[in-house]
Amino acid sequence: MTRVITVRRDVAAQAKEQAEDFRREMTRRGTLVVNLLSSPGAGKTSLLAATAVHWSDKQQMAVLVGDIATDRDAQRLAPLAPTVQLTTGGACHLDLPLVQRGLEALPTGDLDFLFIENVGNLVCPSSHDLGEHVRVVLLSTTEGDDKPAKYPKAFRTSRAMVISKIDLLPYVPFSIKSASDDALSIQPKLEILPLSALQATGIDRWCHYLVGLRERLPQLCPTR
Amino acid sequence: MHELSLVRTLLAQVGEIVAANGGTALRCVRVQVGPLAGVEPALMASAWQQLSADGGCGDATLEIEEVPLVARCRGCDMTFQPLRFRFRCPECGAAETETISGDGVILQCIVLADIEQGAST
Repeated sequence: MTRVITVRRDVAAQAKEQAEDFRREMTRRGTLVVNLLSSPGAGKTSLLAATAVHWSDKQQMAVLVGDIATDRDAQRLAPLAPTVQLTTGGACHLDLPLVQRGLEALPTGDLDFLFIENVGNLVCPSSHDLGEHVRVVLLSTTEGDDKPAKYPKAFRTSRAMVISKIDLLPYVPFSIKSASDDALSIQPKLEILPLSALQATGIDRWCHYLVGLRERLPQLCPTR
Repeated sequence: MHELSLVRTLLAQVGEIVAANGGTALRCVRVQVGPLAGVEPALMASAWQQLSADGGCGDATLEIEEVPLVARCRGCDMTFQPLRFRFRCPECGAAETETISGDGVILQCIVLADIEQGAST
Protein backbone atom coordinates (compact mmCIF):
# COMPACT_ATOMS: atom_id res chain seq x y z
CA MET A 1 0.00 0.00 0.00
CA THR A 2 1.10 3.52 -0.61
CA ARG A 3 -0.14 6.84 0.71
CA VAL A 4 -0.04 10.11 -1.22
CA ILE A 5 0.62 13.28 0.79
CA THR A 6 -0.45 16.31 -1.23
CA VAL A 7 1.77 19.35 -0.69
CA ARG A 8 1.42 21.81 -3.66
CA ARG A 9 4.01 24.27 -2.37
CA ASP A 10 6.71 26.30 -4.09
CA VAL A 11 10.06 24.81 -3.06
CA ALA A 12 11.36 28.37 -2.75
CA ALA A 13 8.42 29.55 -0.60
CA GLN A 14 10.42 29.83 2.63
CA ALA A 15 13.29 31.66 0.91
CA LYS A 16 10.76 34.05 -0.66
CA GLU A 17 9.20 34.79 2.74
CA GLN A 18 12.63 35.53 4.20
CA ALA A 19 13.39 37.81 1.26
CA GLU A 20 10.08 39.59 1.83
CA ASP A 21 10.95 40.15 5.51
CA PHE A 22 14.35 41.59 4.52
CA ARG A 23 12.74 43.87 1.91
CA ARG A 24 10.24 45.14 4.48
CA GLU A 25 13.04 45.90 6.93
CA MET A 26 15.04 47.78 4.30
CA THR A 27 11.91 49.75 3.35
CA ARG A 28 11.52 50.70 7.00
CA ARG A 29 15.12 51.92 7.03
CA GLY A 30 14.52 53.97 3.85
CA THR A 31 17.14 52.05 1.87
CA LEU A 32 16.46 51.13 -1.76
CA VAL A 33 18.04 47.73 -2.49
CA VAL A 34 19.15 47.20 -6.09
CA ASN A 35 20.20 43.75 -7.36
CA LEU A 36 22.46 44.06 -10.44
CA LEU A 37 22.53 41.07 -12.81
CA SER A 38 24.64 40.56 -15.92
CA SER A 39 27.10 38.33 -17.71
CA PRO A 40 30.70 38.58 -16.50
CA GLY A 41 32.34 41.73 -17.84
CA ALA A 42 29.18 43.65 -18.75
CA GLY A 43 30.25 46.58 -16.60
CA LYS A 44 28.48 46.26 -13.25
CA THR A 45 31.46 47.45 -11.23
CA SER A 46 32.19 50.30 -13.65
CA LEU A 47 28.54 51.39 -13.45
CA LEU A 48 28.68 51.43 -9.64
CA ALA A 49 31.94 53.38 -9.68
CA ALA A 50 30.41 55.96 -12.04
CA THR A 51 27.29 56.12 -9.85
CA ALA A 52 29.35 56.79 -6.70
CA VAL A 53 31.34 59.49 -8.49
CA HIS A 54 28.15 61.12 -9.81
CA TRP A 55 26.49 61.23 -6.42
CA SER A 56 29.58 62.02 -4.39
CA ASP A 57 28.08 62.72 -0.97
CA LYS A 58 24.59 63.67 -2.24
CA GLN A 59 23.29 60.11 -1.72
CA GLN A 60 24.58 57.56 0.77
CA MET A 61 25.29 54.32 -1.06
CA ALA A 62 27.03 51.06 -0.22
CA VAL A 63 27.87 48.00 -2.26
CA LEU A 64 27.87 44.26 -1.63
CA VAL A 65 29.84 42.73 -4.45
CA GLY A 66 29.60 39.03 -5.25
CA ASP A 67 32.21 36.98 -7.03
CA ILE A 68 33.23 33.35 -7.12
CA ALA A 69 36.79 34.33 -6.12
CA THR A 70 39.02 37.39 -5.41
CA ASP A 71 38.19 40.76 -3.89
CA ARG A 72 39.25 42.77 -6.95
CA ASP A 73 35.86 44.45 -7.45
CA ALA A 74 35.73 45.47 -3.79
CA GLN A 75 39.21 46.96 -4.08
CA ARG A 76 38.05 49.02 -7.08
CA LEU A 77 34.95 50.33 -5.32
CA ALA A 78 36.19 50.77 -1.75
CA PRO A 79 37.75 54.23 -2.36
CA LEU A 80 34.36 55.44 -3.69
CA ALA A 81 31.77 53.86 -1.37
CA PRO A 82 31.54 51.46 1.59
CA THR A 83 31.95 48.03 0.02
CA VAL A 84 31.96 44.44 1.24
CA GLN A 85 33.12 41.59 -0.97
CA LEU A 86 30.95 38.46 -0.89
CA THR A 87 32.89 35.47 -2.15
CA THR A 88 30.74 32.47 -3.00
CA GLY A 89 33.54 29.92 -3.23
CA GLY A 90 32.22 28.44 -6.45
CA ALA A 91 28.48 29.01 -6.12
CA CYS A 92 26.92 30.55 -9.21
CA HIS A 93 24.72 33.08 -7.40
CA LEU A 94 24.35 35.04 -4.18
CA ASP A 95 21.79 34.05 -1.58
CA LEU A 96 20.02 36.06 1.11
CA PRO A 97 22.06 34.83 4.13
CA LEU A 98 25.26 35.93 2.37
CA VAL A 99 23.72 39.33 1.65
CA GLN A 100 22.60 39.71 5.28
CA ARG A 101 26.09 38.88 6.55
CA GLY A 102 27.54 41.42 4.12
CA LEU A 103 25.14 44.10 5.31
CA GLU A 104 26.19 43.47 8.91
CA ALA A 105 29.82 43.92 7.89
CA LEU A 106 29.17 47.35 6.38
CA PRO A 107 29.80 50.42 8.53
CA THR A 108 26.62 51.36 10.37
CA GLY A 109 24.76 54.45 9.28
CA ASP A 110 21.78 55.47 7.21
CA LEU A 111 21.93 54.25 3.64
CA ASP A 112 19.87 55.64 0.77
CA PHE A 113 20.94 52.89 -1.62
CA LEU A 114 22.31 49.38 -1.17
CA PHE A 115 23.62 47.86 -4.40
CA ILE A 116 24.10 44.11 -4.64
CA GLU A 117 26.46 43.30 -7.51
CA ASN A 118 25.56 39.68 -8.22
CA VAL A 119 27.90 37.02 -9.57
CA GLY A 120 28.36 37.48 -13.32
CA ASN A 121 25.80 35.03 -14.71
CA LEU A 122 22.48 35.59 -16.51
CA VAL A 123 20.99 32.24 -15.46
CA CYS A 124 21.12 31.30 -11.77
CA PRO A 125 20.91 34.75 -10.10
CA SER A 126 17.58 35.37 -11.82
CA SER A 127 15.99 32.58 -9.74
CA HIS A 128 17.02 34.00 -6.35
CA ASP A 129 15.16 36.81 -4.59
CA LEU A 130 17.75 38.63 -2.45
CA GLY A 131 15.19 40.89 -0.83
CA GLU A 132 15.83 43.60 -3.40
CA HIS A 133 13.28 46.28 -4.27
CA VAL A 134 14.56 46.53 -7.83
CA ARG A 135 16.32 44.09 -10.10
CA VAL A 136 18.36 45.63 -12.90
CA VAL A 137 19.87 43.62 -15.75
CA LEU A 138 22.90 44.98 -17.62
CA LEU A 139 23.49 44.09 -21.26
CA SER A 140 26.71 45.37 -22.81
CA THR A 141 27.00 46.22 -26.48
CA THR A 142 29.89 43.77 -26.84
CA GLU A 143 27.72 40.80 -25.83
CA GLY A 144 25.33 41.02 -28.76
CA ASP A 145 21.73 42.20 -28.95
CA ASP A 146 20.29 38.65 -28.96
CA LYS A 147 20.70 38.01 -25.24
CA PRO A 148 17.22 38.99 -23.97
CA ALA A 149 15.60 36.21 -26.01
CA LYS A 150 18.25 33.72 -24.90
CA TYR A 151 18.00 34.46 -21.18
CA PRO A 152 14.35 35.45 -20.74
CA LYS A 153 14.09 35.03 -16.96
CA ALA A 154 16.77 37.62 -16.21
CA PHE A 155 14.86 40.16 -18.32
CA ARG A 156 11.34 39.11 -17.26
CA THR A 157 12.14 39.56 -13.57
CA SER A 158 13.94 42.91 -13.98
CA ARG A 159 12.46 46.37 -13.70
CA ALA A 160 15.16 48.03 -15.79
CA MET A 161 17.67 47.08 -18.47
CA VAL A 162 20.91 49.04 -18.65
CA ILE A 163 22.57 48.88 -22.06
CA SER A 164 26.20 49.46 -21.15
CA LYS A 165 29.30 50.40 -23.18
CA ILE A 166 27.38 52.47 -25.74
CA ASP A 167 30.64 54.28 -26.53
CA LEU A 168 31.57 51.07 -28.41
CA LEU A 169 28.48 51.14 -30.65
CA PRO A 170 30.44 52.35 -33.73
CA TYR A 171 32.66 49.27 -33.51
CA VAL A 172 30.28 46.41 -32.67
CA PRO A 173 27.24 44.90 -34.45
CA PHE A 174 24.71 45.79 -31.75
CA SER A 175 21.26 47.27 -32.33
CA ILE A 176 19.74 49.06 -29.35
CA LYS A 177 16.35 48.80 -31.07
CA SER A 178 16.63 45.05 -31.61
CA ALA A 179 17.76 44.39 -28.02
CA SER A 180 15.04 46.69 -26.67
CA ASP A 181 12.27 45.16 -28.81
CA ASP A 182 13.19 41.65 -27.63
CA ALA A 183 13.49 42.69 -23.99
CA LEU A 184 10.18 44.59 -24.10
CA SER A 185 8.34 41.60 -25.56
CA ILE A 186 9.49 39.63 -22.49
CA GLN A 187 8.94 42.43 -19.95
CA PRO A 188 6.78 45.17 -21.52
CA LYS A 189 7.27 47.50 -18.53
CA LEU A 190 11.06 47.42 -18.62
CA GLU A 191 12.81 50.79 -18.29
CA ILE A 192 15.65 50.94 -20.81
CA LEU A 193 18.73 52.97 -19.91
CA PRO A 194 21.58 53.12 -22.46
CA LEU A 195 24.81 54.46 -20.97
CA SER A 196 28.58 54.47 -20.97
CA ALA A 197 30.16 54.33 -17.51
CA LEU A 198 33.57 55.07 -19.03
CA GLN A 199 32.44 58.34 -20.58
CA ALA A 200 29.77 59.07 -17.96
CA THR A 201 27.11 59.21 -20.72
CA GLY A 202 23.63 58.42 -19.41
CA ILE A 203 24.76 58.21 -15.78
CA ASP A 204 22.70 61.29 -14.95
CA ARG A 205 19.51 59.61 -16.19
CA TRP A 206 20.36 56.33 -14.41
CA CYS A 207 20.89 58.11 -11.10
CA HIS A 208 17.75 60.20 -11.56
CA TYR A 209 15.79 56.98 -12.23
CA LEU A 210 17.06 55.42 -8.99
CA VAL A 211 16.23 58.49 -6.93
CA GLY A 212 12.71 58.43 -8.41
CA LEU A 213 12.32 54.77 -7.43
CA ARG A 214 13.45 55.49 -3.88
CA GLU A 215 10.77 58.14 -3.56
CA ARG A 216 8.13 55.42 -3.98
CA LEU A 217 9.94 52.79 -1.94
CA PRO A 218 6.91 51.41 -0.03
CA GLN A 219 5.12 50.59 -3.30
CA LEU A 220 7.99 48.62 -4.84
CA CYS A 221 7.80 44.83 -5.01
CA PRO A 222 9.51 42.18 -7.16
CA THR A 223 8.63 41.91 -10.83
CA ARG A 224 7.19 38.54 -11.79
CA MET B 1 23.71 25.21 -12.53
CA HIS B 2 22.03 25.64 -9.14
CA GLU B 3 20.08 22.38 -9.34
CA LEU B 4 22.22 20.83 -6.57
CA SER B 5 21.26 23.52 -4.06
CA LEU B 6 17.63 23.28 -5.19
CA VAL B 7 17.59 19.52 -4.59
CA ARG B 8 19.18 19.98 -1.14
CA THR B 9 16.34 22.36 -0.24
CA LEU B 10 13.80 19.91 -1.65
CA LEU B 11 15.28 17.00 0.33
CA ALA B 12 15.08 18.98 3.57
CA GLN B 13 11.42 19.83 2.94
CA VAL B 14 10.56 16.25 1.99
CA GLY B 15 12.32 14.99 5.14
CA GLU B 16 10.15 17.23 7.31
CA ILE B 17 6.96 16.04 5.62
CA VAL B 18 7.96 12.38 5.93
CA ALA B 19 8.74 12.87 9.64
CA ALA B 20 5.40 14.63 10.20
CA ASN B 21 3.59 11.73 8.58
CA GLY B 22 4.99 8.89 10.61
CA GLY B 23 8.39 8.51 8.99
CA THR B 24 7.42 5.59 6.75
CA ALA B 25 9.54 4.77 3.71
CA LEU B 26 9.47 7.33 0.93
CA ARG B 27 8.70 5.92 -2.50
CA CYS B 28 8.41 8.93 -4.75
CA VAL B 29 8.54 12.74 -4.89
CA ARG B 30 6.57 14.56 -7.60
CA VAL B 31 7.44 18.10 -8.65
CA GLN B 32 6.28 20.48 -11.37
CA VAL B 33 8.82 22.59 -13.25
CA GLY B 34 7.96 25.41 -15.63
CA PRO B 35 9.87 27.01 -18.51
CA LEU B 36 10.85 30.04 -16.37
CA ALA B 37 11.80 28.04 -13.29
CA GLY B 38 15.46 28.46 -14.17
CA VAL B 39 15.86 24.70 -13.79
CA GLU B 40 16.97 22.10 -16.30
CA PRO B 41 14.96 18.94 -15.53
CA ALA B 42 17.76 16.58 -16.61
CA LEU B 43 20.22 18.32 -14.29
CA MET B 44 17.68 18.25 -11.48
CA ALA B 45 17.20 14.51 -11.99
CA SER B 46 20.95 14.04 -11.93
CA ALA B 47 21.27 16.08 -8.73
CA TRP B 48 18.55 13.93 -7.15
CA GLN B 49 20.52 10.79 -8.09
CA GLN B 50 23.61 12.22 -6.41
CA LEU B 51 22.00 13.49 -3.24
CA SER B 52 18.84 11.59 -2.38
CA ALA B 53 20.37 8.57 -0.65
CA ASP B 54 22.59 10.69 1.62
CA GLY B 55 19.69 13.11 2.12
CA GLY B 56 17.68 10.42 3.89
CA CYS B 57 15.42 9.61 0.95
CA GLY B 58 16.80 6.15 0.23
CA ASP B 59 16.03 4.96 -3.28
CA ALA B 60 12.92 7.14 -3.70
CA THR B 61 12.36 8.37 -7.23
CA LEU B 62 11.89 11.96 -8.36
CA GLU B 63 9.16 12.51 -10.96
CA ILE B 64 9.43 15.82 -12.79
CA GLU B 65 6.38 17.10 -14.66
CA GLU B 66 7.08 19.94 -17.07
CA VAL B 67 4.20 22.43 -17.05
CA PRO B 68 3.52 25.40 -19.34
CA LEU B 69 4.06 29.05 -18.57
CA VAL B 70 0.82 30.89 -17.75
CA ALA B 71 0.34 34.64 -17.36
CA ARG B 72 -2.61 36.85 -16.49
CA CYS B 73 -3.39 40.28 -17.89
CA ARG B 74 -4.03 42.88 -15.20
CA GLY B 75 -6.01 44.90 -17.73
CA CYS B 76 -8.62 42.45 -19.06
CA ASP B 77 -7.95 39.55 -16.63
CA MET B 78 -7.36 37.10 -19.47
CA THR B 79 -5.03 34.18 -18.76
CA PHE B 80 -2.73 33.08 -21.59
CA GLN B 81 0.38 31.04 -22.39
CA PRO B 82 3.13 33.43 -23.55
CA LEU B 83 4.59 32.02 -26.77
CA ARG B 84 8.37 32.47 -27.04
CA PHE B 85 8.19 34.38 -23.73
CA ARG B 86 6.15 37.22 -25.28
CA PHE B 87 4.24 38.59 -22.34
CA ARG B 88 2.17 41.43 -23.78
CA CYS B 89 -1.52 40.51 -23.47
CA PRO B 90 -2.62 38.92 -26.78
CA GLU B 91 -6.23 40.07 -26.16
CA CYS B 92 -5.97 43.75 -25.20
CA GLY B 93 -2.25 44.47 -25.75
CA ALA B 94 -1.67 45.57 -22.13
CA ALA B 95 1.87 45.57 -20.74
CA GLU B 96 0.70 44.86 -17.20
CA THR B 97 0.85 41.08 -17.08
CA GLU B 98 1.78 38.75 -14.26
CA THR B 99 3.25 35.27 -14.42
CA ILE B 100 0.91 33.01 -12.46
CA SER B 101 2.58 29.66 -13.03
CA GLY B 102 5.53 28.07 -14.78
CA ASP B 103 8.24 30.18 -13.13
CA GLY B 104 9.03 27.95 -10.17
CA VAL B 105 9.45 24.45 -8.85
CA ILE B 106 6.35 23.19 -7.08
CA LEU B 107 6.46 20.22 -4.72
CA GLN B 108 3.19 18.59 -5.68
CA CYS B 109 3.14 15.50 -3.48
CA ILE B 110 5.13 12.71 -1.96
CA VAL B 111 4.27 9.04 -1.96
CA LEU B 112 4.94 6.99 1.18
CA ALA B 113 4.93 3.27 1.70
CA ASP B 114 2.14 2.56 4.16
CA ILE B 115 1.30 -0.70 5.82
CA GLU B 116 -1.89 0.49 7.51
CA GLN B 117 -5.17 -1.02 6.34
CA GLY B 118 -7.53 1.28 4.50
CA ALA B 119 -4.91 3.80 3.43
CA SER B 120 -5.63 5.38 0.07
CA THR B 121 -3.25 4.99 -2.85
